[in-house]
Amino acid sequence: MSLLDRIQHLDDALSWKGDMPTQGRYTAGIAGERFFRAIKEDGQFLATVCLDCDITYMPPRLYCEQCFAHLDEWVEVAPAGHVHTFTVVHRDLDEQMLPEPRIVAFVVLDETDGGLVHYLDEVEPDEIYLGMAVEPVLKEKEQRQGSINDIKYFRPAGGTA
Amino acid sequence: MEELVYDSVYLRREDFEERPDSTQEPVLFETWDPNAQYAWDAGVAIGRYLQDLKAGRLIGRHCPECDRVLIPPRMFCESCFCATDHWVPLEDTGTVLTFSRCYVTWDMVYLEDPMMPAVIEIDGAAPGMGIMHLLGDVDPDALEIGMRVEAVWKPPTDRTGAITDIAYFRPLEPAEE
Repeated sequence: MSLLDRIQHLDDALSWKGDMPTQGRYTAGIAGERFFRAIKEDGQFLATVCLDCDITYMPPRLYCEQCFAHLDEWVEVAPAGHVHTFTVVHRDLDEQMLPEPRIVAFVVLDETDGGLVHYLDEVEPDEIYLGMAVEPVLKEKEQRQGSINDIKYFRPAGGTA
Repeated sequence: MEELVYDSVYLRREDFEERPDSTQEPVLFETWDPNAQYAWDAGVAIGRYLQDLKAGRLIGRHCPECDRVLIPPRMFCESCFCATDHWVPLEDTGTVLTFSRCYVTWDMVYLEDPMMPAVIEIDGAAPGMGIMHLLGDVDPDALEIGMRVEAVWKPPTDRTGAITDIAYFRPLEPAEE
């Protein structure tokens, strides 16, 4: 007997609908705070380096994930990267259709061992290939708030493909 | 072995706010409001219980093994592990088994006048069988265990099939008993 067969009265199928009004606050931490303030104030990308392990962390970490050393070696890295992987997103977190599909990529920054998940734009999905050179497009300084969205998106290096 | 000590920051509420007396900028942060809607399947017993609340009635279920009447109703007896066998109409009066005076809301807003949650043993149900609800129309200092109370129902048009279709319980005047 299926569930639908068994439900013969409204009472049987009554459900209680609720909403949990939770709110989250995310702080970027000590290293993240410095990373985002450098983008906001100077349009610079900062990374931390573990000299012993020869790893450049992007986004910067306060400690080395290999040897657990405290990292205080900060370097500015060039705003240049390449597409490590990408996807085309059609729906938002609540499964609603987006007005326009967005391309989301993991962009490896060339002078580092890490990278950022961000949008790609000024390019069509079928023009993208793995390894494609890209560069960030920042918001105007007055509009920057110290957030990952201070980067509007990444685009093919040298402008529109 | 060398002990590693990291800088650490304990953030306080004021670290998130602009302060006129300080040159310190607020810490960077993102906020996120998850869409946390849910639907809880009321099941057979609670489904009918909620429908009867909408109609202004309290109902329980009878256990054939221990002969108790259970409220809120359930389809099995948690004491005997057997199926309950029939519905029992109950009074909307009862006795305060325990109560509290609550000066904060669930989301930590201070209340001048306390909320008075109580467990109320419902007349017609087995001893100790009660429901959680609010008390009202009563001086918070006058609350007593054993106090006789009655349901104050919302007007029928305002009822939605919820435990809040009873607005609160108020003391039953001795003359009304």
